[in-house]
Amino acid sequence: MTTITTSPPRRVVQLGLGGNVALLVAIVAAIYLISGPLITLLLAAFRGPLDRMLFESDTYWTLSNFAAVYLSPRLYASIIPSTVIFVAGSVCLTFLVAFTLAWLVERTDLPLRTTVFTCVLFPLLVPTVVLALAWTFLLGPRAGLVNVAIRALFGWQGDGPIQLFSMGGLILCQGLALVPFVFLLLGAALRSMNPALEEASAASGASPLTTFFHVTLRVLLPGILAPLILATLITLEQFEMPLMIGRPARINVFSTQIYYDLNPDSDVPQFGRAAAISVMFLCIGGLLLYLYNRAIRRADAFVTVSGKGYRPSRIPLGRWKIPALIFVALYVSFAVVLPVLVLVLTSLYATDMTSLAALAKLNFAAYTNVLSRPELWLATRNTFLVAAASAAIVTCIGLLLSWAVLRTQIRGRAVLDFISFASLGIPSVIAGLAVMLLYLMIPIGIYGTVWILIVAYSYRLAVATRLSRAALMQIHAELEEASYVSGGRWIDTIRRVVLPILAPSLLASFTLLFIVGFREFTIPLILQGSENVVLSTIMWNLFLSRQSAEASAVGVLIIVLVIPVIVVLRRQLLKQSAS
Amino acid sequence: MLKVSALVKDYATPEGAFRAVNDVSFEVAKGQFYTLLGPSGCGKTTTLRCVAGLEQVSSGTITIGDTVVTDGARGIHVPSYKRDIGVVFQSYAIWPHMDVFGNVSYPLRIARPKVPQAEIRERVMDALQLVGMAHLAHRAATQLSGGQQQRVAFARALVRRPRLLLLDEPLSNLDAKLREQMRYELQELVARVATTTLYVTHDQAEALAMSNTIAVMSDGVIVQSGPPRQVYQRPANPFVANFLGVANILRARVVQHDAARTLVALDGEAGRLSVARSADVRVGDLVDVVFRPEDTDISPVAPAGSHNVLPAEVDRVSFQGGSSECVVRAAGIPIRSTLPVRIECHAGQAVWLTIAAERCVVFPAGAPSNVSSPESRMALG
Repeated sequence: MTTITTSPPRRVVQLGLGGNVALLVAIVAAIYLISGPLITLLLAAFRGPLDRMLFESDTYWTLSNFAAVYLSPRLYASIIPSTVIFVAGSVCLTFLVAFTLAWLVERTDLPLRTTVFTCVLFPLLVPTVVLALAWTFLLGPRAGLVNVAIRALFGWQGDGPIQLFSMGGLILCQGLALVPFVFLLLGAALRSMNPALEEASAASGASPLTTFFHVTLRVLLPGILAPLILATLITLEQFEMPLMIGRPARINVFSTQIYYDLNPDSDVPQFGRAAAISVMFLCIGGLLLYLYNRAIRRADAFVTVSGKGYRPSRIPLGRWKIPALIFVALYVSFAVVLPVLVLVLTSLYATDMTSLAALAKLNFAAYTNVLSRPELWLATRNTFLVAAASAAIVTCIGLLLSWAVLRTQIRGRAVLDFISFASLGIPSVIAGLAVMLLYLMIPIGIYGTVWILIVAYSYRLAVATRLSRAALMQIHAELEEASYVSGGRWIDTIRRVVLPILAPSLLASFTLLFIVGFREFTIPLILQGSENVVLSTIMWNLFLSRQSAEASAVGVLIIVLVIPVIVVLRRQLLKQSAS
Repeated sequence: MLKVSALVKDYATPEGAFRAVNDVSFEVAKGQFYTLLGPSGCGKTTTLRCVAGLEQVSSGTITIGDTVVTDGARGIHVPSYKRDIGVVFQSYAIWPHMDVFGNVSYPLRIARPKVPQAEIRERVMDALQLVGMAHLAHRAATQLSGGQQQRVAFARALVRRPRLLLLDEPLSNLDAKLREQMRYELQELVARVATTTLYVTHDQAEALAMSNTIAVMSDGVIVQSGPPRQVYQRPANPFVANFLGVANILRARVVQHDAARTLVALDGEAGRLSVARSADVRVGDLVDVVFRPEDTDISPVAPAGSHNVLPAEVDRVSFQGGSSECVVRAAGIPIRSTLPVRIECHAGQAVWLTIAAERCVVFPAGAPSNVSSPESRMALG
């Protein structure tokens, strides 16, 4: 009985002055935050000589940066193969573990499901660099706790036997670190699957195993493909693990190469070269993004979700309950329990832990040492300030952008949509580099301050625009029109109708972005100055200066700070999966 | 009160411009209830949205009271929030984050200059009283039934005491029984507040029951407008006849045409009909004879000395409770007939079909008659 309109209605934009200004500011900010740094980066790639900044007086246009990068055999012999092996290996591992966990939690009668759910989420919130540190202390060939224990057990001498600093170790760490994120995405896909599809297979005489391979996996395929591409994109841009685990093993991937070009051991920073190698990285990112976009569209077309609250029947594990629990326990202990434990232990034993004998000397020296530094308090304040401010900015811009795209006829809406989405394909190492180049060039005095971090973090528009867009599409446009015809101006309508209705999605978007900002390590590392340290960079600096106990103490502090966020997020996610 | 002249609205579509409203003009006097009636996609809702200021017109002018609110040629477009209107949307658009009171008080709370709190309270309660929802003022919007949402939407539209009330298919989202009930309530309500009302619907029963004037729209133009009785009994063309209820449309040729009467011969030698009214036709013209099922009669024996009697055979009978719907065939041509229940007949029976001459209307053949909306297609069986 609805009126079928033959074309999308061309709605009048009832913006008024306030609305026009607000939208204009949001659009300009979005374009600036993303394309400003990127354009600078592109320019820098074409400026020479190698070691100079973009517009210093004696620079000139050149292709030498590209020649230096792309004609070098090292790129093809070492960087590209390493990157491919690293990404492929990590993504495979991530998927294997994440799918198994998601399937166990969402579709079987596994005991303690909500506990498992919370535990699995934990590494998502802790900065990757903290995990990397913990795993170094846990599995490091010389002082790693596990290796020490094994050697003590068998009376061996020297290093090992576990070689963390190898491609295998790198893949293991990176693969496990990304599990929670993929777990969430796959969990959503599994949850939304219509159980009748599986029941129909069972009713046709198929065994559970046949059903799983012939129906469950096939139906889920489009829903799995998108997370797979996204995981590849994220792994490709990962920087922390290659830095901490790959560096001692001399494994160089794209992201670390950019960083080493900026911070060479013996030379001056080579901006042009870093920019030139970024271009290839960005192209690959763009390609993955395109594939991802296609995959989500296909997943939408492949309707497994009907919006009706299915209560998927859970598969009884039977005698597989014990192996399943062991698998979960292994993951949880390796990703959550042991890292926390080793950090706490290391922070309490200031001495070098090459033998179990050191366990006797427990002390809080590292904590008093760390907490007495004003730098730490500055870093704590910065971490929260930057994460909260950028999350707020991006949520606001995201809302206004998606409103403009969905509800107005502004020309170039598709471009806006593209720009906000494109941020997903920009690795943080490149974002950091590009922002650095931009503000070294424009002397507005934010270089080295927290403001540059807020600006740099705020390029991640994709999350916010996607979330508020999905939410806005759920709101009938007549809800807004009802406000206009009641005498409400644009501002009234946004404030009193749109914002309150969107509040849960905006909160979700803010929380997610806050977590991303809280975890951020790469950008503050690249843009590091004396004023704008954050907790993760302090920890890294302490680790570099071989103060393991102090570094661990900061790591423990980060974990303590993150716990309340876990509680909030868990409540949100459980509410979501319940409704 | 409301004056729409030469309204045109084009949409850009991938296939080129689509003219949703094509040169529509009408006037609604103060206190009148004016209905735009037509199938889906005929442009009625677009017209209403143009009046509400929710769509930008391509050309034409709209005047509310003495104010020109839209003038395509002069580029005038008064935004919705500055138009003195109240709108009830098809989806009701009740804000889920406010309770009933919050929804209804919204137009007063955002009004500039500010309305005093006490007055807001009083006027909101008056409006809720009017729609019988005063006792639910503090119920959450999400806990309202369809009918209650509709009442709240009405209270919200009326609380500002707008000069013009716009109703966009307000009953179409209700189930059949509730729709009937709300139709009476709505009629009463509109009579009480006596606001000038523009009503949009695809339901001919609503239009006939409530309107002072009905304008039947098709493909972006007003095909016919007038009081309900007139539009129903004297449709301007077969389309209107068909859309306002069920109509038989039979192809025929004019055999006699003078001041007294017009005589036509039905196709397939089914017989001859004398018709009271006809458009401008000449002898020999191919025409469509239009009459309604209730203007027919069936008897098992030939009625003596009467015109317009055709021999026929009963094809199907469906008992409706208060009446029977039959399809009879006269020389193979199916004709629908509504019978009082006291007349019984059965399929295969040979009968005599009488068609009331004064109710037959004749149009030149080939005038538009098909109705594309799913609703009316269902009505035609």
